[in-house]
Amino acid sequence: MFLSLAFQIAIPDPNVNVGLILPELIVGGVGVIVMLVDAFARPTQRWITGGLSLAGLGAAAAASVWMWLNWAGNPPRGFHDMIVLDELRLSFTLIFLFVSALTILISMVWVENEKLPAGEFHSLLLFATTGMMLMASGNDLVIIFLGLEILSIATYVMAGFRRTDLRSNESSLKYFILGSFSSAFLLYGIALIYGATTTTTGFPGTTNITAIAARLDIARYPALLFAGAAMMLVGFGFKIATAPFHVWTPDVYEGAPTPVTAFMAAGPKAAGFASFLRVFIFGFPFVAAAGWAAKANAAWVSAMIVLAIITMTVGNIVAIVQNNVKRMLAYSSIAHAGYALVGFIAAGAATDLDTRNSALAAVAFYMLTYSVMNLGAFAIVTLIARRNDRRTEVEDYNGIGFRAPALSFTLSIFLLSLLGLPLTAGFMGKVMVFSVALKEGFYALVVVAVLNTAVSAYYYLRLIIVMFFRERTTPWSAPRVPASVALAIIITVIGVFYLGLFPNKVIDAFQKKPVTAQALR
Amino acid sequence: MLGAILLQATETTATTTAAQSVGAPVTAYWPVMIFFLVAIIFPVLPIVLGRFLRPMKYLKAKMRPYECGIDPETEAHDRFTVRYYIVAMLFLIFDVETIFLLPWAIIFMGDDFSFTKFALIEMFVFIAILIVGYYYAWRKGALEWA
Repeated sequence: MFLSLAFQIAIPDPNVNVGLILPELIVGGVGVIVMLVDAFARPTQRWITGGLSLAGLGAAAAASVWMWLNWAGNPPRGFHDMIVLDELRLSFTLIFLFVSALTILISMVWVENEKLPAGEFHSLLLFATTGMMLMASGNDLVIIFLGLEILSIATYVMAGFRRTDLRSNESSLKYFILGSFSSAFLLYGIALIYGATTTTTGFPGTTNITAIAARLDIARYPALLFAGAAMMLVGFGFKIATAPFHVWTPDVYEGAPTPVTAFMAAGPKAAGFASFLRVFIFGFPFVAAAGWAAKANAAWVSAMIVLAIITMTVGNIVAIVQNNVKRMLAYSSIAHAGYALVGFIAAGAATDLDTRNSALAAVAFYMLTYSVMNLGAFAIVTLIARRNDRRTEVEDYNGIGFRAPALSFTLSIFLLSLLGLPLTAGFMGKVMVFSVALKEGFYALVVVAVLNTAVSAYYYLRLIIVMFFRERTTPWSAPRVPASVALAIIITVIGVFYLGLFPNKVIDAFQKKPVTAQALR
Repeated sequence: MLGAILLQATETTATTTAAQSVGAPVTAYWPVMIFFLVAIIFPVLPIVLGRFLRPMKYLKAKMRPYECGIDPETEAHDRFTVRYYIVAMLFLIFDVETIFLLPWAIIFMGDDFSFTKFALIEMFVFIAILIVGYYYAWRKGALEWA
């Protein structure tokens, strides 16, 4: 806190509160230090960067927890209301830090084996994490866009990190083109919202999410509100890979190096959800009184229902016919975005604050469970893929069950958790999300979601059957499991069962404490 | 009709007495439209006029590409070494830095001394991060041509 105190003495403006962005500053600063260390250190000392990055992520997590424990009452805001501190931000921040730390554990030995520049990889990962954290903490469309770009540019480079591999290059280029395309959609939406929220009394427009919510009914160009919200829906839809904006996902996930795919499926997706939730739940909230605000809310909720149904169905049905494990997990990640949208819809349509907060906590919890099981599954896929990601087809998993029992059994646990088997994290996440949707009366939506879960059983169980009940004709030896990957796998296995058996503590932490009983406007 | 093209909202908002500080949608967009027209006419007009006005004398030497007076040696569609792009990128970084420095310099001299101090620190942090990037590129051999 020395830094923050030093700044606060120098700055009379209470809006510049450096302590409020301490986790972001730590991660970004460590990213810069990692670059310097990488430039100074001899090639044999490159492992330092991984340890340094882990230490930085740990420090940022400690700062977040410290912030969590040290505020009460109204959410503190700073930087002219551009940064906000609330449960949504902190829960997602911890998810991002967890995802990045596990990605470093998974990739530590991989980077060395593939002879990739480790320092570059770790600093890019840290910068991406900074962007994700800004996306969760921004209470202003400009900050959210800034965070999104910091995240995206780092991820584009990471997707093409094996630069001698054509698949990796293709993945990076596709991600770059479609990612910038979606950023443009988002930016256009932001511009339209800014124009729309001009008031009849002569105030210029606003990009502040709280101010947008207050301006909806007195907006000067209400029609533009809908166009802007639709554009932002498309932009965020691209980022979290909802159908029909999902076409980039399988190609990018397949071509990117497997640890990067693990990161992309867990981190940026959760970051997209964090700001998607922030913009739509707080920017276009449920309003009982008839008016433009109520219409805007009803419009995006109904659009989102359609999106959720298409996303779940397309993700699960197309995953059935995939023969590449990474592509299959990509479609599975699309389907999981659809399940999380069910909770999102419940949060958007919630009529009282308590339900809304529990729905928000449910979505955050869902993203946490998805990150845990997804990172675990990708850690094992990385090991089985060997050098240069060669073995990622389903045939490569033929009959490995009894030759590498520990690995195959752990992968089966993750797949069953992704399917949503009781006692695992995936089940608890789905229960949370679907129950808030039921509470809000979205029966048909939940029925579709549950049917989709049943469909998904086919492709998750198929891989397990391939591993244990197929004969293998070609020779195969079990891959060596490096200590860091083993640690990552152990953490994720514990996470899967902890979140599946004792979710209460995490959910309570993610949920906003009811400060005062207040109804929505 | 024009209102629909220029993204004008419903009639209810158009009838409200517009505060002059904001400007009604149509009038607010006219300068943009005029600028757009000028932007199209400006390059097209000289090309069209030149076609009619210039004397037509085609010589072989005249049809060759102009490379600052030196005789061209190879085809224009050639592969360039990637170093050019790295140098261009490094140049761009410091070019963009100037763009950020200029508005900062303009608001720097205010009456508020505490703000000035803060702005100075912030700008040094910004430049320090840029220098780290520059140093990194240097150490990684981006500036070595041999």
